[in-house]
Amino acid sequence: MEALQLLGQGFATCFTPLNLSFILIGVVIGQIIGALPGIGPAAGMALLLPLTYGVPPVTAIMMLAGIMYGGQYGGTLTSVLVNVPGEAASVMTTLDGHQMARQGRAGAALSIAAIGSFLAGVGAVVAVVFVTPPLAEFALKFNAPEYFLLALLGITATASLGSDSPTKALMAALLGLMVAMVGVDPIQGTPRLAFGQQALIEGIDFLPVAIGIFGIAEVLASLERSEQAAAMRTRLRDMWLGAKDWAESRMAIVRGSLIGFFVGVMPGAGPTIASMLAYIAEKRVSARPERFGGGAIEGVAAPESANNAASHAACIPMLALGIPGSASTAVLLAALILHGIRPGPGLMTEQSTLVWALIASMFIGNLVLLVLNLPLAPLFAALLRVRYAYLAPGILAISLVGAYANTLNFTEVWIALAFGVIGWFMIKLDFPRAPLVLALVLAPLLESSLRQSLLLSFGSLKIFVERPLAAALLGCVVLSLALPLVGTLRRAARLKRVG
Amino acid sequence: MRPSDVVPALLMLALSAAIAFDTRSLSFWADTTPGPAFLPVWLAIAGAVLFVLRLAEARRLGSGVPFQWPERVALARVAWAFAGLVAAPLLAPLVGLVLALAAFVAFLLLVVLRQALWPSLTTVAITIGLVYAIFVGWLGVPLPKGMLGI
Repeated sequence: MEALQLLGQGFATCFTPLNLSFILIGVVIGQIIGALPGIGPAAGMALLLPLTYGVPPVTAIMMLAGIMYGGQYGGTLTSVLVNVPGEAASVMTTLDGHQMARQGRAGAALSIAAIGSFLAGVGAVVAVVFVTPPLAEFALKFNAPEYFLLALLGITATASLGSDSPTKALMAALLGLMVAMVGVDPIQGTPRLAFGQQALIEGIDFLPVAIGIFGIAEVLASLERSEQAAAMRTRLRDMWLGAKDWAESRMAIVRGSLIGFFVGVMPGAGPTIASMLAYIAEKRVSARPERFGGGAIEGVAAPESANNAASHAACIPMLALGIPGSASTAVLLAALILHGIRPGPGLMTEQSTLVWALIASMFIGNLVLLVLNLPLAPLFAALLRVRYAYLAPGILAISLVGAYANTLNFTEVWIALAFGVIGWFMIKLDFPRAPLVLALVLAPLLESSLRQSLLLSFGSLKIFVERPLAAALLGCVVLSLALPLVGTLRRAARLKRVG
Repeated sequence: MRPSDVVPALLMLALSAAIAFDTRSLSFWADTTPGPAFLPVWLAIAGAVLFVLRLAEARRLGSGVPFQWPERVALARVAWAFAGLVAAPLLAPLVGLVLALAAFVAFLLLVVLRQALWPSLTTVAITIGLVYAIFVGWLGVPLPKGMLGI
């Protein structure tokens, strides 16, 4: 009951002209960013983060969260009408969504995606309301060893779950940790890893790295394509769903929502994996799996529900523990820090207004997105006909100014450009970029809690196994590293047998 | 082994070596507490371990499918776009950031992406207008002005 009262207060905070307009701006920008191939929600959030300096933290966080889940809705448009995923989590939607469009059922595909996303999103936010407070309360029992292991788990789980190659993902995470070490040692105040450069003594900020690794890198990669696929058209009257469509997709929405929620809560898995798992599960339970890939409406409903549920569920570890579960929540967490708010279990009590307003804004944002994606879908579909060539230079220009505006220093611009190149190479070489950003965000917590733990135990590593909670978390860390290794060894053995 | 597998592993090793070298003068352990070099050294060790693991993985994968770089034209577009990005902050102290960005957007649209003149100029005007309205007008960010005072 207390959660519902606090949620009511959250709604009261949302219903101010400023906050409502920023929720609307956030979800509309998210919708557009999601629809643009080549730039994902995390990139959009990083690019627009400097724009939030002019508003109160609560308003800023609601807008950035709107971009995060708005992107999940927007990606569907491009997947269905152009056969190119607008962002990674919409990749499964192209399989059946575009086939439906070719059969003249683009409207039905967009409709079921919007309704599925809305129901899954609202369901996941309801779960956020009831799961986050007890989890945060439980996490108040955590001490330095648990925090160290939790931060480590956030990094290792991202690395092992979110990539085809765990070594590549771990290398990306390690690079993030190494970047975070540059600057001044947080406990003794000694400069380190500045390599004689005065500019590096202040450390490397999250923002220019995120702008470079997501924004600049993604735009550079998208500039490789000179041609733009034509978008198919859709009309408002095509958006109606028949009784057969409902019957075929209602359980797909339920299953997709549940899969999305549980995958989203796990650190590192995120909306992309959730949509893939939901699609595979739906095909497996289907009485006629041969329809999948040929325009099955369940093949749109399940992954679209899953990616939106996962996007919201990833907020649970972020709000309750201060551990981001995905690249987007890492940017959200960084935004909290930039606005002077300390994340962690104390957030629920110390920043109760902000947290509950954020949760309430998700209900409002999802409702706005439903409206944007049902009656207004043809309007947004028309946006896809704008040539990307005219948007890319603007995004790059805003990236440069955004990096500069962070500290009014060109060093930040050079850092963003350097990470733009690093990010471009990572895209080309198939290295995941999310572990780098997550590691960069989690590094201060990881280092300070590790050193506090060893200080408490006079250097003994036993502190990580003597406390039951710490031991359980250590087990999870070991498991998150061992599972992909076992998988790799099994694949290698199978290949050896075959070949 | 493909160079695209080996080179990142070598870079990771080089970075680990650089970290170990730069932290050699810092304390690893001070009295009862880990020092400033403690975590960096462990990260350098982890980097070396990952170098070995990545090489083993690359060896297992063998030469496999050769790595596909983008076509020459596509690569040239990326390189010129990046050159423009580097030029903009270099030009900013001379002509001001706003003009430098306008030049960058025009260069990218007209020279690199070869778009039509009038839509490109309109895009330049809209982009610069947006940057100015948001960053200068709304957020009050003092963007560097050049010799022309813009």
